[in-house]
Amino acid sequence: MKKLLLPLILLLSPSLLFAAGASTQLEGGFKVGPAIILITILCVFVLVGIFFRAKDTADFYAAGRGISRVGSGMAIASNWMSAASFLGMAAIMYGSGYHGLAYVVGWTGGYVLLLILMAGQIRKYGKYTAADFIGDRYYSQTLRAVGAIIAILISISYCVGQFGGIGLMFKWILGIDYTFAVILGGGVVLLYTLISGMLGVTKNMQIQYVIIIISFIIPLFILTAKFDYFWVLPQIGYGSVVTDIVSGVNLSEATQMFNALGHEYAIVPSPEFAMPWDTATGQSFFQWMAIAFSLMVGTAGLPHVIQRFYVVPKARDARWSVVWGLFFICILYWSAPAYSAFGKILSANPEVGKLAKDAIVVYTAQLGNINPLIVGLLAAGGVSAAFSTVSGLLVAGSSAFAHDLYVKIISPNSSPKRQLLMARIATIIMAIIVTAIALLKLGLIAQLVAVAFSLAGCTIFPIFLLGIWWSDSNKQGAIAGLIAGGLVSLIAITYFVASAKGVELPYATFITKWLGAWYFAWIGAPLAIIVNIIVSKLTPTTPLEIRKFLVLNVHS
Amino acid sequence: MESNQNDYHISFFRPTTVQAKWNRNLAIKLILIWAVAVFGFHFLLKAIEKPTPEAAYLNYKEVWGNVMMDNASTAELQSFAHSSLSVLGKVFVSSEEKAVLSNALSWTTFQLADSAQKELIFEQVVEFEKLKSEITSISDPDYIGAKNKISQLVSPILGLENNDPRKNIVSISLVSSDLKEFNAENKDAFPAIMTKYLIHNQSFLTDFKFLGFPFHYFYSAVFLLILFVFLCWIYCVRVDAMNLKLDIEE
Repeated sequence: MKKLLLPLILLLSPSLLFAAGASTQLEGGFKVGPAIILITILCVFVLVGIFFRAKDTADFYAAGRGISRVGSGMAIASNWMSAASFLGMAAIMYGSGYHGLAYVVGWTGGYVLLLILMAGQIRKYGKYTAADFIGDRYYSQTLRAVGAIIAILISISYCVGQFGGIGLMFKWILGIDYTFAVILGGGVVLLYTLISGMLGVTKNMQIQYVIIIISFIIPLFILTAKFDYFWVLPQIGYGSVVTDIVSGVNLSEATQMFNALGHEYAIVPSPEFAMPWDTATGQSFFQWMAIAFSLMVGTAGLPHVIQRFYVVPKARDARWSVVWGLFFICILYWSAPAYSAFGKILSANPEVGKLAKDAIVVYTAQLGNINPLIVGLLAAGGVSAAFSTVSGLLVAGSSAFAHDLYVKIISPNSSPKRQLLMARIATIIMAIIVTAIALLKLGLIAQLVAVAFSLAGCTIFPIFLLGIWWSDSNKQGAIAGLIAGGLVSLIAITYFVASAKGVELPYATFITKWLGAWYFAWIGAPLAIIVNIIVSKLTPTTPLEIRKFLVLNVHS
Repeated sequence: MESNQNDYHISFFRPTTVQAKWNRNLAIKLILIWAVAVFGFHFLLKAIEKPTPEAAYLNYKEVWGNVMMDNASTAELQSFAHSSLSVLGKVFVSSEEKAVLSNALSWTTFQLADSAQKELIFEQVVEFEKLKSEITSISDPDYIGAKNKISQLVSPILGLENNDPRKNIVSISLVSSDLKEFNAENKDAFPAIMTKYLIHNQSFLTDFKFLGFPFHYFYSAVFLLILFVFLCWIYCVRVDAMNLKLDIEE
């Protein structure tokens, strides 16, 4: 593999050097440097995918369970660090200031819950997919099917934001229309997932992690050094940028410092950027707390995240892979707010105009007058982030269909070859659905992804939590809990879509305030848990063999 | 978590074996730290916050009555213009709100100018608006020239110092049709905009600086993430130690 990659990189290097001289525009136009970098990276991904492609169903679903802890941690991080992390978080903070930190805290804090309450136990349970666990633990084919459908819905919902991010970056790099960019980007990521399967995906994820983190951090070193902040550790150095935004930067302090459009590095005092739940941002204390909580429980309930614990050899590895994974994730999450802070000052002059928030990471690098080649690498990193997550999600979704619905329910005697075919058909169908929804542009990337988290928090999280930690939680309780969580989700999502499409529904103000699409799990998750407990108490207890399995295999 | 090997019962809150109790206690401790660190801190932040106005808001409040009564002094009108510019320079402001603020600023500028300056301001603003609609790039030399001309003319009238970043906003905020009148509708909307953008929830946790950050910002953006990694690390270390001590092979 290495023998092939090296000549490829050497072959493309002259073109990259040539492209370095090309100018970068804020909007529109084909950008040679970034395009070459993107194509190079995609070629590497596809080659890695081909060389490590799935050879059978076990490989396709769980990568042969041969991935190391650090490797698995990198894969968790890469799988996790999506367009929402790479592009969306900075976008939310750029648009809503401190409110955006609820996403940073929610998306990292959830790993503590995931580790303490689930990771090791999930590995010990020894299943391939989330629906597998639900079907076996709650001894119900119906619940297995429902679990599979929920996993597919979550994957689709999560993918929508990613496809939006891929579309935005393809649009920026290639200078093409957003619609065409989403279709093109969706097609490429689909092709890549189909070729590689999960073994290729896991190997690729490790490479993707390195590309994502390097491309994200290099511009930050440059920005902090260029604007005279503490550049050695930009994740701390940008603290003074935040303080500068709060207290303002006078023209005399900004001598010889300009953005790419020639504006001085100056800003009027803008405390609303850093002060909590500021009225200027239109966000409240309740929303901050509800978003953080929903994202946390959602993290512990996402099928494609849970599924990563099946690919490590032992429960101990599953636990340590969370530590590594979270550390790798935090490297990016410590850095993302810096982009929003620099973006704020560099676009402070009203002449810069309204920038697409979801592309603020790239615009910030451009406005900071960073070399076009490095900006191109940053954009390609954004695409990589979306790719790594989408492929994991498509595998999780297609696994739910092929493994949990087709093999376990529809056609139990199907051959491994046919199972793989069904998984691939499911991948294609999901990609088409996601592309269609992404073209509707229903919200910011981070917000669209947060919908998937709330959905997972209301449905999968309660059922896993009680399924692992309370043997009395039974089939009836699980069904009732799913109905409760599902109803909350349905109401919230219906009102969200109706509002986005301009349809007025009754009590819309009340519902959208308390059951916002990004945070409805704040009530949905506890409700599903309570309903599950009450109904389980009132109905026949869990069969002996399930309880025995929990005691002997999961908690011993 | 099992009461014994015969009835096979698991309950997080009623563990019966040494391993289960140990694990339960560790999980509760870590989750408590996690919950207090995230939600406890933000409840505290909410409890101690005080609506704190910016200097621009206090200045505006001081002169607003006289501005409304049309008997503000030059210094008061300049102070009013500065406050309007302080909000116009913020990135969050919506286009509707910008229109109100531009009206306030344009009218105040005209009030402060003498008759010769008025004529000049009007001409230059009209010319600049025409250029703005024609140019394809803001680096157009004519556009930059016209912009600087207005800034040089208006900044002294408004009493803006040379290093004031609001100087950069003046030219693009003036509207020729707003120069002569601060209309009643905009006057009504003005106070709410100032309150919205110039009053912030602050406390000693937001005012205290740590490593260059406002402390609360550092806490959420940096410290909490370190804490999460630490909690996960400590959990793994302790579980490994427990497994070794109790001779548990997973």
